[in-house]
Amino acid sequence: MNKLMNKKVTGVLSITLRQVCLIIVSLILASIALGVSGYEPLAIVKGIVNGLTSDIAGTVRWATPLILSGLAICVTYKAEVFNLGVDGQLYMGAAAGTAAALALPEGMNHVISLIIVFLAAIIAGALFAMIPALLKVFLDTNEVVSTLLLNFIAILFIEYLVNGPMMDRTAGTNLNASEVLPENTWLPRISFFDPSSANIGFYIAIVVMLLITFIFYKTTLGHEIKMVGSNPVLAKYAGMKPKRTILQVMAISGAIAGMVGAIEVTAVQHRLLSGFNPDFGFDGIVVSLLANNNPIGVVFSGIFFGALKNGGINMERLTDVPSAVTEIVMAIIIITISAKFVLPKLKPRVAAAKKGGE
Amino acid sequence: MELAVEMLNISKFYPGVVANDDVSLAVAKGKILGLIGENGAGKSTMMNILYGMTKSDIGVIKVHGEEVKIDSPNTAIKLGIGMVHQHFMLMPNLSVLQNIILGKEPVKNGLIDVKTAKAKIQEIMDAYNLPLNLDEKIYQLSVGEKQRVEIIKSLYRGANILIMDEPTAVLTPTETDKLLEVMRQLKEQGCAIIFITHKLREVMAITDEIVVMRKGVVTGSLATAEANTELLSNYMVGREVNLEIPGEAYRPGNTILEVKNVSALNQRGLPALRCVNLKVREGEVVGVAGVEGNGQSELIEVISGMIRPTGGQVGFHGKDVTNDPVRSRREAGMSHIPEDRLKMGTAKNCSIRDNLILNRYYQKPYSKNGIMDNKKLMGLADNLCRDFQVKTPDSARALATLSGGNMQKVVFAREMEADPSLLIAAQPTRGIDIGAIESIHRKIVEARDNRKGVLLVSAELDEILSLSDRILVMYEGEVMAEFKRGEADERKIAEYMTGAKRQGGDSNE
Repeated sequence: MNKLMNKKVTGVLSITLRQVCLIIVSLILASIALGVSGYEPLAIVKGIVNGLTSDIAGTVRWATPLILSGLAICVTYKAEVFNLGVDGQLYMGAAAGTAAALALPEGMNHVISLIIVFLAAIIAGALFAMIPALLKVFLDTNEVVSTLLLNFIAILFIEYLVNGPMMDRTAGTNLNASEVLPENTWLPRISFFDPSSANIGFYIAIVVMLLITFIFYKTTLGHEIKMVGSNPVLAKYAGMKPKRTILQVMAISGAIAGMVGAIEVTAVQHRLLSGFNPDFGFDGIVVSLLANNNPIGVVFSGIFFGALKNGGINMERLTDVPSAVTEIVMAIIIITISAKFVLPKLKPRVAAAKKGGE
Repeated sequence: MELAVEMLNISKFYPGVVANDDVSLAVAKGKILGLIGENGAGKSTMMNILYGMTKSDIGVIKVHGEEVKIDSPNTAIKLGIGMVHQHFMLMPNLSVLQNIILGKEPVKNGLIDVKTAKAKIQEIMDAYNLPLNLDEKIYQLSVGEKQRVEIIKSLYRGANILIMDEPTAVLTPTETDKLLEVMRQLKEQGCAIIFITHKLREVMAITDEIVVMRKGVVTGSLATAEANTELLSNYMVGREVNLEIPGEAYRPGNTILEVKNVSALNQRGLPALRCVNLKVREGEVVGVAGVEGNGQSELIEVISGMIRPTGGQVGFHGKDVTNDPVRSRREAGMSHIPEDRLKMGTAKNCSIRDNLILNRYYQKPYSKNGIMDNKKLMGLADNLCRDFQVKTPDSARALATLSGGNMQKVVFAREMEADPSLLIAAQPTRGIDIGAIESIHRKIVEARDNRKGVLLVSAELDEILSLSDRILVMYEGEVMAEFKRGEADERKIAEYMTGAKRQGGDSNE
């Protein structure tokens, strides 16, 4: 038993070490890119260091949606389903949350109104995720394509809402946004981090992570997700219902995405803004990948990417380095992670080539 | 007698495992060496070393008397060593010709010289009596023909030393006979062949020398003339093996399974079963013989609930279960050992434990309100590993770390633990070694003697004949004949298997 634990611990450590190496390599490459372009080479590293120390508030603000999106991705990934529609589900959740918040009576209890707003967002996100899930289960439609395309529908739908039925007619300028939400539906910000918009959504993210971890390792649903992901034929043969499991993971994923929408609206923007989401869904893929699709790891990789994003924004404000550099870092991380699949095959070849050269 | 290949004092270590320990073998020109042993005995490692896919830690290889270093399959091919893999290395969408010349195309003016290639291949085909249509695409060929392509491919590259890795595992009896004939031809032309197999009969029929391996060491090395199957199986498992397992007298009881007029389609939507009727009663083994692909898979899938029949009924303990889901049938006492343990029976990236608990993970007392008791499940898995002698240091290890025989033990353990009243066993001993075959046959007989019903589907006639109380023969989705134990021999069944005959009238073809 003890031995087993040790093995597990060393396994986790070696994976963590590998991922940290990936980060270091990508930062070095990004710094080289900066240096070559004539900027201060260490700007991005400084930005991250600041993001993890003096400016931790901004990091927490960005880490919250990134962790949750990462969790939304990692749930489906375990079942070998690919939900590229987190962004769309997030928008739908934000719209439903906003609609609920605006419809609630002004003087309602703060906690109860927040619960109602979040429930509306969660249900909307899950329902929107059901569209590609049902298409996959009943018509064998590839969910990669359908989830991706549904994102555009969601984005344009929000555009329509904030220019039509939900438009803020009191605003003088032509702002593409809904009315400001009543204060009793605002998700509290963390006062310690004032004046940043870091909010208690971070705690929600941690709770969701704990829930997902519990589902994965302690519940029958978790076992079914694992089996469906590793061998759907076996799952069917053993009497499980792979189709139902796929619907379940997509619903969970969509619900988490909807929650991100609600958090962004109720804690950060306080209104529904068109295009408020800077592709959290796609960033979530990178977050989950870097965490090796482990829910606990997602928290750490979410914080790292939060620091990166935050650092990038600060960097742009304080120096003339464009924040797009953060995207370069992300891209390099994706490439180095993909190299994980290539390296083991490459190693023997390199060794053989060396031998031959001698 | 000139030695073609010598492998001297080969040792190969993997972390924690000694794959080969001081193994030596040699094969002369124009001779066939049989290399036999259980799964995991180290045969494949030896051949991978010879073919340059891996390197030995200690030891010397000599080809035609000269010491050589083989660091890649390319080097091996240059030395005249060819390998016919168990899983074919062919491009299904290319023609036979294209597959054979792939990577070694004769070139004329910068273009592939098809004429020269064809002539050269024709020469080989004539010399070894290996007829093939060069323009056919690989996917159109039967398994036996694909194997012929592999052999020609090796010969085309100038191989005079052939490694054949379990070449008969995928062949029908007739195809096997043809292959053995080809091997004899190759031998006469001066090829040296290393023949890896599980089947002792074939070893006895074709080889000149035999090397037996067990757990990485050579346990026996002798001339075929001095060998017999009993002696060889003793060398292989290190103890007496008895495949004749005595059971109790045949006393069938109540009907457990009744399949009535069942018809079904295969995955491509073509009729696979036509009006099949069969019964399995308590305390009997019903064997279904037939060449693979004649509806056996669909029959099992209909019975186990994985596909719905287009007509007919499945009765289980007197209840119509035709439209019941898989899980309710399993809970009612149906267990199923699938024909393909990797595709259907296991998840190889999950742990051995995860694979063992599939029937129980959601049931009390292992689970309550959807929350699993991991401790109890761990205990269940560890007990099963012990009771069914799954060789692993830890059930938390990935299933892929097990050998084929041990994987099958995992499947068997899981399915028997459910205490089934009906056991469906499809190809239960495919690709596993003789020691594991014996223990699995024993378990089947034990289940029968414990008044359970067993439906045994197998392409191995030996297995069907030795275990079944009644034998059904299937051909093109129909039951062609039914025999009681002792009524039929291999030859008689083969006639019905190929559709040449049917009981109660001639074939309708």
